[in-house]
Parts: sequence; C-alpha cells; structure tokens
Amino acid sequence: MAGMSELTASQRFQAFANPARFMALSDRLLPFCVVVTALLLAAGLYLSLFDSPADYQQGETVRIMYIHVPSAWLAMFGYMVMAGSSAVALVFRHPLADIAAKSAAPIGAAFTFLALVTGSLWGRPMWGTWWVWDARLTSMLILFFLYLGYMALWATIEEPVRAGRAAAVLALVGSINVPIIHYSVVWWNTLHQPASVFRIGGPAIATSMLMPLLIMALGFTLFFVTLLLLRMRTEILRRRVRVLRLARTGR
Amino acid sequence: MIRAFKTLVFRDTKLAIRVGGGAGMAVFFFLTVTAIVPLGIGPNLKLLGNIAPGMLWVALLLSALLTLDRLFQADFEDGSLDLLMTGAMPLELVAAAKALSHWLTTGLPLVVAAPLLGLLLNLDTAAFGPLVLAMLIGTPALSFLGAIGAALTVSVRRGGLLASLLVIPFYIPVLIFGVGAAGGGGVSAVPGAGGQSLLLLGAVALVSLVLGPVAAAAALRANLR
Amino acid sequence: MTRKQRRAGFIALGLGIIGIAIGLVLYAMRDNIVFFYSPTEVVEKGIGPGTRFRLGGLVEKGSVEHTGAATIKFVVTDLMKSVTVSYTGIVPDLFREGQGVVAEGAIGPDGIFVADSVLAKHDEKYMPPEVAKALKKSGRWEEGQMNQDEGKGTAQ
Repeated sequence: MAGMSELTASQRFQAFANPARFMALSDRLLPFCVVVTALLLAAGLYLSLFDSPADYQQGETVRIMYIHVPSAWLAMFGYMVMAGSSAVALVFRHPLADIAAKSAAPIGAAFTFLALVTGSLWGRPMWGTWWVWDARLTSMLILFFLYLGYMALWATIEEPVRAGRAAAVLALVGSINVPIIHYSVVWWNTLHQPASVFRIGGPAIATSMLMPLLIMALGFTLFFVTLLLLRMRTEILRRRVRVLRLARTGR
Repeated sequence: MIRAFKTLVFRDTKLAIRVGGGAGMAVFFFLTVTAIVPLGIGPNLKLLGNIAPGMLWVALLLSALLTLDRLFQADFEDGSLDLLMTGAMPLELVAAAKALSHWLTTGLPLVVAAPLLGLLLNLDTAAFGPLVLAMLIGTPALSFLGAIGAALTVSVRRGGLLASLLVIPFYIPVLIFGVGAAGGGGVSAVPGAGGQSLLLLGAVALVSLVLGPVAAAAALRANLR
Repeated sequence: MTRKQRRAGFIALGLGIIGIAIGLVLYAMRDNIVFFYSPTEVVEKGIGPGTRFRLGGLVEKGSVEHTGAATIKFVVTDLMKSVTVSYTGIVPDLFREGQGVVAEGAIGPDGIFVADSVLAKHDEKYMPPEVAKALKKSGRWEEGQMNQDEGKGTAQ
C-alpha cells in the first residue's frame, strides 16, 4: 500500500474499500468471539483438568495432552492460514490477504512454541527425555524456524508491498513442511506416537477424554481467530497512519 | 535460449573466480572451520572420526551460506539484474544459471576439498567414497535452495545474515540425508540405511532444481517491481 | 518455437524432474525410514556387534530382571523375534512389561544389546483405567497391550 502515490484516486478508494468493510464487520464480530472463546476455554479447562479421567498408562500426566495437542493443531492451522492468505495475496493482490498472512505468523509461532514446550514437559516423565531428534519433533522445530524467518523478512524489508510479496513467496515454499509434519509419524517410525484423533478406523481415544480435547481444540481455534482479527485491525490502522504520515510529509 | 543460458553461466563463473571474495574464500573458510573442530573437541581421535561426516557437512553448509549474497547482490547493485529481467530469457532460467554457476564456483570446490579435510578429522578411509558421492548430489541443492534466500533478501542491504536464517530450515533435509548417506549420524551405520538416505537426498536435490529457480524468480519479481 | 510452446516445454521439464524425485522417494520408502529398528529387522539386516543403533519393540512380559544395583536386563520383542537388552540407569515412568521401548546402544560380543539410554514409547491409545479393564475382561484387548494391573510397579 506504500505505492499509493502511483495509484489513481479510484484505485486508492478500491484498496480501502475492502479493509473498511472488514473493519466494520470485525468490529461487530470481535465481542462475540471474545465471549465464546472465554466460555469454551473455561469449560475446556475445567473438563480437562478436573472432570476427565486419568489415563490407564500415563495417569494424571495425560492432562498435558489437552494443551499440547490443540497447540500443535493450531501451529499447523496457523501456517495453513498464512500460506493460504499468501497465495491469495500473490495471485489476486488482495490487500486483506496480505494483512491476514502477516498477522497470523506471530500467533502461529506462539502456538508452535507452546506445542514444543508442552511436548518437552510431557516427554520427560513419559519417554524419559526432554527432547529427541525424531521426525515429528524435528519437523515441528523447522516449522518454528520458518515462522521466525517469515517474521524476520517482514521486519527487515521496510516497504510493505515489497515485504508482503517476498514473505508470501517464503511462506508458500515453506508450506512443503506441513504435510511432512502431519505424515512424519506414518512415514518414519518415530518415538512420537501416531495420531490419536484423525486416524483410519476412528479416534483411538476414549470418549470421556475426546470430548474435553475437542472442546479445548475449539476454544483454541476461536482464540486464534480472535487474536487474528485483533492483529489484522491493528495492522490496518497502522497502515492508515503510515499513509497519512506519508501524505503529510509529501505536502 | 540455450546459448544465452551458457553465456550467463560463463560470465558469472568467470566473475566469481576473478573477483576477490569469490570461490577461493569459501574453500578457505571450509578449511578453517574444519581445523578448529579438533581443537574444540580435544584429543580423541576415535570420537573425531565418528563425527567427521557430520562436521564436514555442517562446515560445508556454513561455507555455502556465507557465499549466498554473491548470487544476486552485485548484479542488483550495478543494475544488470534489471537488464536481465527485461531480457528475453525467462527469469526462472536466469535464476537457474546463477545457481548453477554458484555451484560450479562454490559447491564443487568444497566437494573436492572435503576428502582432504576428512584426513584432518581422522575420517575412516572407507567412508571417503560415500561422503564425496553424497556431497556431489547434495551441494547442487544447497546452491539452488540458497538462491531462494538470496533472491528474497536482494533488496536488503547486508542481507547475508537474513538470507542464512531463511535458508537454514530448507537446508535441514539436505543435512540429515547427506550425513545419513555419508555413513554418519549413528543410526545409519546399519547396512542398507546409507542407500536409502542417498535416494532421498537425490529426491531433495531434484525438487530443489525445480523449486529453487521458480521461487527465486518469484522473489526477484516481488523485490524489484 | 513460440513463447507458449517454450513455456509448456519448461513446465513439462519441471514436472518431469519432480516426477523422478517422487519416484526416488517411493523407491526409498520400500523400507520404513527409521528412528529405530525392530528385532526382526536386526536379524534380517544382520546388524553385527559394535554397530550403534536404536532398538525398538515391546518389553516381553515377565522378562525384566534386576541383575545389579541399577542394572536391569529385559527382552525386547516384536512378537516375531526378540533381543535381550541390558541397561544400567534409571528407566522412565512408562517403562513397563508389555509397553513399547526404544533403547540406544550396540550389540555386545555375547549377543546382548547393551543400551546406554532407554526411552519409553507410548501408543496412540488413551483411555481411563476402568475402560481398559472392561476391554480386557470382554476379551477385546489387542495383542501387545497386555499389562496394566500386574505390569504396574513390577518394572521399577
């Protein structure tokens, strides 16, 4: 949007039309998102920490799963949102897609970090080690590096249009990693156990534990959406300020 | 088209050899990094021999990373990259030619130097063949994947460090399968495991031959238009 | 050659190269890519003494014996072949008879796998103890998952 000076007035109007509509829509959506996220997370935390049974093998330690698994899902979901928006931004030059990709990155990185840390805390008592270089853990760490690289690229290139397009190329190239993470436990015989929920033959997890997990996952997802909307609004406002400043100095 | 491609490869290769800070520096860096490893580990020849394939690969990776900024930076600064972009040759092919000449002037000399450095690290003589073979297959991937990072950061002044950060995640598979094929990395000393790693390394290299130029061209367009 | 033809040629070349790469991966995948080897693979591949590798499988029921202060000896099996393992050190919580383990080390001259680290592998099944008990009572318990009541504690 920094190339504004070359655009005609009508093009400028168009570029702003969609973000403006987004601002109005998200303004109405946000309070609803916040309330539902809070309710879901409260219910999910109560169910998973107090109401759900201990595991027949792992005992109480299994409760780490209710944080670890949704975090890992959101880490990958975040990257897919980022890569998907990047593709839309590159192909259709839609300004909102650009903003969505940029806003999703730090949230996804945070969830990846959370998944790595909770996994490490879980691995120590169960496996007997904090960390092991098997395919699932390594590919998850690579995902974290990709997020960091993406954010670093945005931070380094000053001009938003240029930065957005370069970062979009990086996000798309890095998306190879997402299927590798998902299938790592199938292709390699890893220390990490295979998927429990999305597997052939249905979930291998008792209903009394699956329900809290799904509620937590839903809560985490809405938390992600809420944060994404907030960050996108902030980003749009930041760009408006930037354009206004540029306009003032140009005068 | 093919002639233009050849001309560009020759031009870049000549430039890299004649201009200081080119091919020779990477090999020199490779040598110095390898020389400090035994000093850091202390007197344990057996341990040194065990980790030699891994250490050589890591040193090779670092040397390749250091030279990435040479790929597009100079041409970007003196404006010849703009000329190449407006020329008849597709930008993907330009990127491929530059990555190829980068491999000729960096990857290949490093592979040639590797067995010599293997001696310094007490590498088992039986491991020299697999190591060189793995490096021959793996180093083009380093150049072609590196082109993506170099293209992404072409407009950034002093973008070398950022390019390294962006590229390292993509280098990890090359490192894992490369070390596996070279007979290091503990587990893969098992019979048959090296061949499997070599196949996968070949697959990574082939994918990078296509992915590298396409993504690098897209990144150059993003940066220059 | 027109521009369009040239472009189609490049795309075909690119797809061809990717195709070969996929072929290589599929060919390499005939064998599982391994973090650890099962006892059957150890026998089939003829992994000899002195080669370091990771051994994975189930701890055979009733095979754990304490041979020293902190040294234990147990049999790792994949229900077809088995390998005897000796290990000195502390085992993780989940180390139980009938449970999965991954041991890292090398086979000694006497044919016993000497491990210098033992990690517990758990499966993707999660259930409350009552459900596990009921499953076992009704006989719908899968092979290789056979401990729980008796397995707890005996491994330590």
